[in-house]
Amino acid sequence: MKKLLALVLVLCMVFALGMSAGVYADDVSITLWTYPIGGWGNSEIVDQLIAAFEAENPGIKVSVEYLAYADGDDKVNTAIEGKAAPDLIMEGPERLVANWGAKGYMVDLADLWDDTDKAEILPVVQAACFNKEGASYEYPLCMTAHCMAINLNRFQAVGADKLVDLDAHTWTTDQFIEAVGLLAAENPNVAAVFCGGQGGDQGTRALINNLYSGTFTDADHTKYTADSEENIKALELLAGLEGVNFDPAIVGGDEINLFRQGILDMAFCWNIGAQLNTDNNDAGLTNDGDQIVCMAFPSDDGVPELCGGIWGFGIFDNGNAAKIEAAKTFIKFMADSPATAEAVKASTYFAVRDSADGFDLTKIYDGNDIMSEYTKLMPFLGDYYQVVPGWAEARTAWWNMLQQVGSGADVTTAVAEFCTTANAAAAK
Amino acid sequence: MRKSSGLTQNLRRQETIAGYLFLLPSLVFFLTFVVYPMFMCIYTSFFDSNMGKDAVDTFIGLGNYKELFQDKVFLGALRNTVLIVVVAVPTVCAFSLWVASAITDMKPWLTSAFRVIFYLPVVTGSVAVTVVWKWMYNNYYGIFNYLLKGMGVIDKNINWLGDARYALWCIIIILFTTSVGQPIVLYVSALGNVDTSLVEAAEVDGATQMQVFWKIKWAQIMPTTLYILVITTINSFQCFALIQLLTSGGPNHSTDTVMYYIYYTAFKLYRYGYGNAMGVVLMIIIALLSAVQFKLGQAQD
Amino acid sequence: MNKKSKAYRIFSLVLVIILALLFTFPLYWIITGSFKTGKEINSTTPVWWPSEWTLKNYQKLMSKFKAPLFEIAIPFSQYFSEDGTPAIGLTGPTVPAAVRWLLNTVWMAVASMLLTCLTAAMAGYSLAKKRFVGRNLIFTLIVCAMALPKQVILIPLIREMSSLKLYNTLSAVVYPIVGWPFGVFLMKQFSEGIPTEMVEACRIDGASEWRTFTDVMFPMIKPGVGALAIFTFISSWNDYFMQLIMLSSNRNLTISLGIANMQAENQTDFGLIMAGAAFAAVPIIIVFVIFQKYFTKGITMGAVKG
Repeated sequence: MKKLLALVLVLCMVFALGMSAGVYADDVSITLWTYPIGGWGNSEIVDQLIAAFEAENPGIKVSVEYLAYADGDDKVNTAIEGKAAPDLIMEGPERLVANWGAKGYMVDLADLWDDTDKAEILPVVQAACFNKEGASYEYPLCMTAHCMAINLNRFQAVGADKLVDLDAHTWTTDQFIEAVGLLAAENPNVAAVFCGGQGGDQGTRALINNLYSGTFTDADHTKYTADSEENIKALELLAGLEGVNFDPAIVGGDEINLFRQGILDMAFCWNIGAQLNTDNNDAGLTNDGDQIVCMAFPSDDGVPELCGGIWGFGIFDNGNAAKIEAAKTFIKFMADSPATAEAVKASTYFAVRDSADGFDLTKIYDGNDIMSEYTKLMPFLGDYYQVVPGWAEARTAWWNMLQQVGSGADVTTAVAEFCTTANAAAAK
Repeated sequence: MRKSSGLTQNLRRQETIAGYLFLLPSLVFFLTFVVYPMFMCIYTSFFDSNMGKDAVDTFIGLGNYKELFQDKVFLGALRNTVLIVVVAVPTVCAFSLWVASAITDMKPWLTSAFRVIFYLPVVTGSVAVTVVWKWMYNNYYGIFNYLLKGMGVIDKNINWLGDARYALWCIIIILFTTSVGQPIVLYVSALGNVDTSLVEAAEVDGATQMQVFWKIKWAQIMPTTLYILVITTINSFQCFALIQLLTSGGPNHSTDTVMYYIYYTAFKLYRYGYGNAMGVVLMIIIALLSAVQFKLGQAQD
Repeated sequence: MNKKSKAYRIFSLVLVIILALLFTFPLYWIITGSFKTGKEINSTTPVWWPSEWTLKNYQKLMSKFKAPLFEIAIPFSQYFSEDGTPAIGLTGPTVPAAVRWLLNTVWMAVASMLLTCLTAAMAGYSLAKKRFVGRNLIFTLIVCAMALPKQVILIPLIREMSSLKLYNTLSAVVYPIVGWPFGVFLMKQFSEGIPTEMVEACRIDGASEWRTFTDVMFPMIKPGVGALAIFTFISSWNDYFMQLIMLSSNRNLTISLGIANMQAENQTDFGLIMAGAAFAAVPIIIVFVIFQKYFTKGITMGAVKG
């Protein structure tokens, strides 16, 4: 009897294992996967936004999953292969357009862009959200310029603060080299070229491109040009610079931690979200209370070109028209309605448009000094080259290349290998 | 005898049916979730199969395999995998046998306490343990650099996980600490079960400790040793979490294992056919290794 | 037993104690770390003991993610629904996601353990005591597949799970573990040690095949089953890889995945991770200490006889 009972129990387990996700009712239920884009990685904030949406659209239920930058891409790729991709994803257009869209997994959102949108959304963002065939796989919500940060107290201590323009937040390559020299006399870890993975790689790309005004791709975004003379010169400079260490054991997030801990004097992975962070101290201060100043990347001509980040929503084509329709409703609500102000504020980034459906967005951060100061960096936004094909493979090859340079490999050979790999992926 | 042949045949048929019925539940899982994917893996390895909704697999014969043996990263990964197994398996066995013999003569509560302690990293879970080790290895504030510098052994911080010379060894050390728990428990009990009359007889005959150990105890704990060899080999081949969480195969692919490289090829480079070809190569190696191990085990019986 | 020289015994005792400290360290660090303030956990010199104990990390762990305590799906409903998600019959109250993750992990490990033990014991008995055509072929296949790491077949496995509509369910993690033939191998080796006469005597007495197995065979191979149970439980608890590729929804995660995800966030909150790790480790360690006798007995009996 006891054994029979045990057997029944086991059988029950086999069947009950079907336990899985899914809200069930007559409603359309859609899933949203989001990367930690400011507050969009925090369930308390997102829950409020979702609640507002569901109150206005009672027929639609949204469940949210939170991705991480380190392995989020792998996770989406696995899910696509498992035919369990989400309905909606919140991400930057580069990964969507260049990959999943091109591979046929995304819904073309060109029909979401009406004439008012085209008038309201910044042209540079529009250009980034459409591919050459005129398809748009992402409807944008917010944007920022990625920059770097310095520990002002450390700079002052060695007299390097005179080398930076604290008002305009700019400096030249020569000033950067001199500052690193001064700082390195006190601290062997002035800065780290992190290359343990792809996390935060926009920082290393922008640094290298800016030092001698190199570019990452050609102007048409068809070919990788990291092997240009300017980029090689920049990499050789960094590899030989005392105090700047190539570190394959950390990624961008670790670098930010080290900077906040006061171990590094500079961080190459930075943006307004990091500047506003209050986890361990007030915004704009390191854990020990040193002052953090956002800076543009140093460049030889003094005119930086910052790498932009654009975030928005894409829809996966899971073959269910009702879900796609519901997902579109969701996008319009978050990115083109009076609710957009809250959705943008949640991200702690800037709106991609002056007004959403006539609702003014220019004043949402009024009274926030840190945001106002950061606005000075926005005009330096450079070319949005991330739409180049083969982007995901190129990103992977990028940190592998940095690891090689860091371990003393010949720079020219290493970048040549990078370009071969990346261009082969682009040609596919 | 002739008369009963019908009966025997009947019995035999019955036995065959019963045999398969008992085998059935296990076989269903084995065939569906191991053998079928294994064949699919072999099949796909002959195709250029990539990610994409409308991607069509094209047959390229042995193309993937040809590329494989020219792929320096793969060969390096294969070397690392073999290195991990070759280093980890004997050291785990030897170390756990030594610890077991050291703690087995202690007071029972002490033996228990040590047994629990050496089992802790196993039950704590590899992800949790890895988080701590990552901190210990940290270049800037990790405990190893802190202590070694404090003791004056090194004067410059070592970037343990960021240096191709040390990274793989660092991973092997973590793998080691999470692998010895079970073997120690096994050896403690195995040593406790050794026939004491034989040991005493040998001691009366004037055998040294060493002789007693190798001539009597070693032979008696042989089955345990074999079992430990098998489970440690399985464990070492499956080392994945440590690499994914600590180094992503870097620096310069120095900690890539075949297991990690398959994952990398599939989900970072989207090359499924190529990844499957690697899987097949590894499958062949492991099957051969298992067969050898099994034959060794049978020879011991 | 006093033959070993005293010097050697003291030496080995000291060495074992040092090693024991090293082995305890990660757990010590996790537990104290989970009570440290953000300043101390991010300190650049090791803080050995929290100067100020805080529960903030645990509060964050409990409030950051939420999930229903359990969801019981209607069996097979995923095969009839439009989008392949099963119909949920019963949903539990909303709790901190870490609790759900722990529950998922326990469920997954226990289900793997029970299913593996049952199927492997039966199969082992059959392979050891029954003579039938194809036996050797099956056994050879088992031996070859035994040490195979699951990563090898990851791509076909994901595709298969998705067409069986099992992707992103705990079953997708459990079934391959159950299918892994190591258990069958172990049970076969173990069953061979049981005298065939005993089995036959029982058959001659007129007992059915099933009764012979449950009443005669099973009690005798129990220690072996115990060993297998523990091996399966621990290895599925730690089988991060299968969990990583098969589970994606927050509510379906295991505790290891949950912690790994926290680590992967852009700005790592070590306090939160330590709290999560402690939350994952402490229950199983308590279980382990309580059941230590069974644990060790089970493991050993299996190995010594097998």
